[in-house]
Amino acid sequence: MKPRFYWILKALLSHYWRHPWQTLFLSVGLVAGVGLWSAVQIINQHAEASYREAQSLLGAQASYWIRSRRDEGIEQALYIDLRRAGFRQLFPLVELEVSTPSGVSIRIIATDLLALPDDAYSDSDSPGDFSDTWVKFVQPPYRAWVPRVLADELGLKQGEQLRLRDGRLLPPALIQAREQQGRQVLIDIGAAMALSGSDRFSYLAVGPISPRDYQQLAATLPDHLELVENQQHIDLQELTESLHSHLTAMSLLSFAVGLFIVFNAVRFSLWYRRATLLDLRLMGCATHQLFSAILLETLVWSLLGTALGFALGILLAHALLPGLGASLQSLYSATVEAELGLSSMTLLQAWGITLLGLVWALGWPLYRQLQQSSLESGSSARQQQDEAIARRRLALAALVLALIAVLAYGRISSVTQGFMVLGLMLFAAAWMLPLLLAAGLRLAAWLVPRERLTMRWMVSDGWSQMPAFRSAMMALLLALTANLGVGTLVDSFRNAFVGWLEVRQSADIYLRAPRLDIQQLKASPSTASWLVDSHHRIGITTRWRGRPTLVRGIEPDAPDSLALPLSRWQGDTPAAALQAWREQAGKVLVNEQVHFLAGIEPGDRVSLETDNGLQEYEVAGVFYDYGNPYFQFYLPDRVVASNWQHHYSRGIALWLNHDNSAAMQQAEAVLKELGAQPGDWISQAQVRKLSVGIFDRTFAITAAMNALTMIVAAIALLASLLAILQERLPQFAQWRALGLRQGEQLLLVATPLLIFCAIAWLLSIPLGALLSWVLIYKLNIISFGWSMPLLWEFMPALQLAGVVIVICGLTLLLVSFQWRRKMPQALAQLGETV
Amino acid sequence: MKRLLALVGCLLLSPALAAQDVLGDLRDQGLGFAQVTPGKSLQFPRDHAPHPDYRIEWWYLTANLADRQGRHWGLQWTLFRQALSPPQADLDGWQSSQMWMAHAALTTPDGHFHEQRFARGGIGQAGVTDIERVGYFNAWMDDWQWRSSGAALLPAELRFTVGDREISLQLEASGELVANGIDGYSQKSAQGQASYYYSQPHIRVRAAIGQGPDQISLDGQGWLDREWSSQALAPNQQGWDWFSLHLDDGHKLMVYQLRHDDGEHWLSGNWIEPSGNTRLLDRNAIELKSTRSREIETGDGRSRVLPLEWQLGLAEPRRRWRIRPLYDQQWMDTTIPYWEGVVLVEDETGARAGIGYMELTGYD
Repeated sequence: MKPRFYWILKALLSHYWRHPWQTLFLSVGLVAGVGLWSAVQIINQHAEASYREAQSLLGAQASYWIRSRRDEGIEQALYIDLRRAGFRQLFPLVELEVSTPSGVSIRIIATDLLALPDDAYSDSDSPGDFSDTWVKFVQPPYRAWVPRVLADELGLKQGEQLRLRDGRLLPPALIQAREQQGRQVLIDIGAAMALSGSDRFSYLAVGPISPRDYQQLAATLPDHLELVENQQHIDLQELTESLHSHLTAMSLLSFAVGLFIVFNAVRFSLWYRRATLLDLRLMGCATHQLFSAILLETLVWSLLGTALGFALGILLAHALLPGLGASLQSLYSATVEAELGLSSMTLLQAWGITLLGLVWALGWPLYRQLQQSSLESGSSARQQQDEAIARRRLALAALVLALIAVLAYGRISSVTQGFMVLGLMLFAAAWMLPLLLAAGLRLAAWLVPRERLTMRWMVSDGWSQMPAFRSAMMALLLALTANLGVGTLVDSFRNAFVGWLEVRQSADIYLRAPRLDIQQLKASPSTASWLVDSHHRIGITTRWRGRPTLVRGIEPDAPDSLALPLSRWQGDTPAAALQAWREQAGKVLVNEQVHFLAGIEPGDRVSLETDNGLQEYEVAGVFYDYGNPYFQFYLPDRVVASNWQHHYSRGIALWLNHDNSAAMQQAEAVLKELGAQPGDWISQAQVRKLSVGIFDRTFAITAAMNALTMIVAAIALLASLLAILQERLPQFAQWRALGLRQGEQLLLVATPLLIFCAIAWLLSIPLGALLSWVLIYKLNIISFGWSMPLLWEFMPALQLAGVVIVICGLTLLLVSFQWRRKMPQALAQLGETV
Repeated sequence: MKRLLALVGCLLLSPALAAQDVLGDLRDQGLGFAQVTPGKSLQFPRDHAPHPDYRIEWWYLTANLADRQGRHWGLQWTLFRQALSPPQADLDGWQSSQMWMAHAALTTPDGHFHEQRFARGGIGQAGVTDIERVGYFNAWMDDWQWRSSGAALLPAELRFTVGDREISLQLEASGELVANGIDGYSQKSAQGQASYYYSQPHIRVRAAIGQGPDQISLDGQGWLDREWSSQALAPNQQGWDWFSLHLDDGHKLMVYQLRHDDGEHWLSGNWIEPSGNTRLLDRNAIELKSTRSREIETGDGRSRVLPLEWQLGLAEPRRRWRIRPLYDQQWMDTTIPYWEGVVLVEDETGARAGIGYMELTGYD
């Protein structure tokens, strides 16, 4: 004899067998929610794990860097001298930035694998075991180790040579990667030197080193080199924190949308199981046994949802990681491992959040149902009354949430707080929605002329459909709002960014050749026909208020310096502020990051550590500096040159004579003549293409999340419609028997649906605008430290309306198929059930 | 001969290396490289310098030392060169096909320690100079360095480290260089495999280990082997057992056997008299057999059974010795692992007859 508990559980769970569609929707909602959340979580944790590994390079620990103070690289002879002095902790690195003909930027890292410290190799991974692979790596024609993800992206096959923009070829590809290689291509240092034509290393890395050896190394280094601690893991965590918070917030939103589907499915299951629960209690089942059964049901769903959701999450993470990895690399120089690492902690967290969501969306409503008086009837009138009460309560709760959001808004000081306020705002709107839907129905009923009876009936049937649609509409509202809000953010940013690029990158050629003498270039008679203007920028990297900081020396009279776009300035006009900066000593321009993240206003004084001690400068203006994670100070080049002995060239910008159609060819010929290598310069169009490419890739993940959220909302809608069909099939059959045509019947469902969707869409417009406003004017500034004007366009909203109509049409089509299939049986059963 | 081991060591840099058959490369025909042929006389100091046209080469020093209490110590320092491909004149710098590896080991009364290093050729990180060109001998990798004071191999100073122990050796010749095989042409099989091979078995060594008040001073005798080749192992050879012995009566003895699949091992050696006269020992003149095998822990999480005790006899002069290790645990847990360490030599009565080094490879 099986225990009573078994029968209770079986009776409760049998619902899922009898209604497979609803079971499917519950699973889909759960899996989609958990999947989207865990995808982002997996990516975030993977990225964070990679940042922690920034202490290592290609599998070897790198505690310090040896860099040239003048950015001139490091001579090979010096490296050999240091090795021969016993500093075997050092290994050389060359980094190159190249791009493909289609404009994809690729970072190349090169080292001497034989020189890596012993800790770089595990037992199974020593140089001896590389065998053939290893030998080919160090010998001409060499091999380029390309991570699989990057190879797939570039369409590169084993053994193929990648052609670069300037026609150079990379060594034959070998699809494999070392630790911490990320999306970079690894080649031998010999190959890199052949490729770049330079005989210098970019820098040296210092492996594990004792304090005594460190002292000796520091004392041995010549003056033009500096030994700096590798703080990348700390810097990266700090710099990318906001980006990851954004992703987490979006994933939580997706999770919430998924939960709405669950909620919807549960509402349906409650409806159906009300009788079962009642019967069970009348048969004398103890409340605690029913309660345990419900708990077990919740647990089973949570395990199922987590397992499938996490699997989906892994798939999604795999799809999203390459784009994000590329962005992190281009924006923050962060090396994110190309192969995804998974942690059991993420899985546990996924289960935790699923269980929590399910207790709220499934367990709690079931328990409430159980608590209700066992003899209470479920009459339709009573339900309608309950619904109205529930709507008002929800609206009241929404008002409370909105009030909290308004009160908290002024106090937002961190990204997390900002997202919490956004969450409150969105949920307030979602909970207000049922009341608005009811109001909408009333308005529609009032608008329909009295004599249009069928029409009135169709509208008023909305009252019966509302409970089924409520959660789905909330999900739709959230999805629409998020799409509009985030879409506006991205469009505004793109608009601001592209406009800014046009002003900032006005030169025709950008040249980065440390050994090329700009004076020689300007003085050369061969430049007269094509060169109109030039700008040689110099700079140093330092730390200011604990953050990586760039101090740039720019030529005050260069065309781009004269047109520097300012967001804030001292004095009356930006032009006056720029003039003051040019002409008066002791003035500095700072980027918006300094203004927003360090709270510096025009007129404030900032202190910078220089070779001549601490120097104070007055802030003349704040310039836009989109996408820069670092603090940046602009000083006239002569000030930087006199205050920082070890400043280095940050590149030369050249303006060409546009009247001379052959200017570009002439320029390239002269540059080659003066010793610049192909790849040392890049044209304005290419710079812009690269910049915008990085921008688009950064926001690709946002677009993907938006689309996925919309899909989840569409599923919610379909689930609701099918639930209505299930619940009211006997009723529809009855009407059918009374002579209602199928088209009219479909219209009966479609009319309230369209009314509801229209209300959700209408509400999403102001809500989306509000969301983007908070994102742009509050969160973006707190997160990244730059501002931009909000660009509101009505077109995306109209497009979303189109999307909603398509979703409605598709779901109605699906429903009508179901209808046709089930109607005969429902008609046959007429009289048996009511 | 010395050090087929070195061949194996260098194999780790070789194209044909396969995990199952680490000696495969030694059996490679060495196409494109210079070949070892008989009848070519060695020339000094020129032949102390590298022979980049040959595939493999080494400078291999062992030293048997004693401290003030008379306790046994041992040192090994080896520099290996391997060409990954036949050298081309235009490939230098990072493109050089020359690769270097170095091993150092220290046998103390308390235990055995070792270190392994690698470096690329062509960039100055490791190499050996040509005495004729620079006026002194210099062999180095990073801060490990053998540098002579004049235009000869010896006298010289050798400085290196094993872990955090700094070691400095003063080396002086107490006899002449010795050509092994026939005038330095050392045959390794009946199929024609061979190497050029000479030794300096007469080296007086003064060593200082560590620095400051804890510095330990040692005295003793060293043995340098120089060998280069392009192909040294026959397809049916599995590994080798090699001995270099300093006998108390002033004789030096080098003996090796290349183990064949069929048990018909290739044996060879050199009997060096105090006067400097040498006698080439062939297979019929040497009687070598292992008398006891023992299992030792070999550091890679496993243990191996090794023939650690031997009986060695010569037909002429009619002598016989027992050879046993100072202690068993002298395993080199390097990329290609092997046993190499200090051995004690006793005569048939069990009395001490000498000291030396033994190398056992290919025991997997």
